Amino acid sequence: MFKKKVTLKILLLLIASDILETAVQFFFKKSALAKDGFAVVDMATAVVFFKAVFTSPFLWAGLFTVAVVFIIWSMILAKIDLSVAVPIASFSYILVPIASIIFLHEHITVLRWVGILFILMGVILVSLSSKERIVQEK
Amino acid sequence: MKEGLLIILSLIALTSLCDTINQLFLKSAINYLNFTPTFNIIKIIKFIFQLLIKPRIWLGFVFSVISLCIWLFVLSKVDLNFAFSADSMHYIFIALASNLILKEKFSSLRWLGTGLIVCGIVIVSLS
Repeated sequence: MFKKKVTLKILLLLIASDILETAVQFFFKKSALAKDGFAVVDMATAVVFFKAVFTSPFLWAGLFTVAVVFIIWSMILAKIDLSVAVPIASFSYILVPIASIIFLHEHITVLRWVGILFILMGVILVSLSSKERIVQEK
Repeated sequence: MKEGLLIILSLIALTSLCDTINQLFLKSAINYLNFTPTFNIIKIIKFIFQLLIKPRIWLGFVFSVISLCIWLFVLSKVDLNFAFSADSMHYIFIALASNLILKEKFSSLRWLGTGLIVCGIVIVSLS
């Protein structure tokens, strides 16, 4: 079984998917702000909300990027296990907060960065445990 | 405020769960097709076509639409950096699902990593 080996080509595809995933989240956030401050309380208001969001060009830019990510992701998953691919693709956990600060002017507290660091450490441990398994199987 | 946070976290859990189900259908369909990665555009189009005629891809698609709607609602309520960090709870679902359903094996170190992610989500939610 060759399903665990991460080649340079796969790594490049994973990096591309990281950057595009960040772009997707930025576009989605922009489209969700189409009805900023609007209260969704029942079916009727939910319809109004989703109508505004789904007619936002940002949503369609996001969905187009999702399609690109989907194709790249399909190529990655055909070559390696889900439990190996997902950890490496997760550097967007750093890219998204950075993009949030730069493009959305969000404020991130020190405590929140600590939490993000915990998540990233967890992700790295998960990746290491996958590598360890490859060595053991060889 | 606390109650609102709990609702948002539950919604993020729901979107993560729908996403995991979609990933499982996707991985299962791709495993079945046994596709070799290529940059040959004709082979890629053929592969996409083969994928699109598989019912489980469309089942996965339904779940991703539900996931998207919940996600857009969540994003309209909270900061992107918070929502995206909290969305890492899909690791817990992915770990459980790939272990139990796809029968992928992994070490206890992996569970420790997943535990750290849980701690991270708690800290991010408290901040």
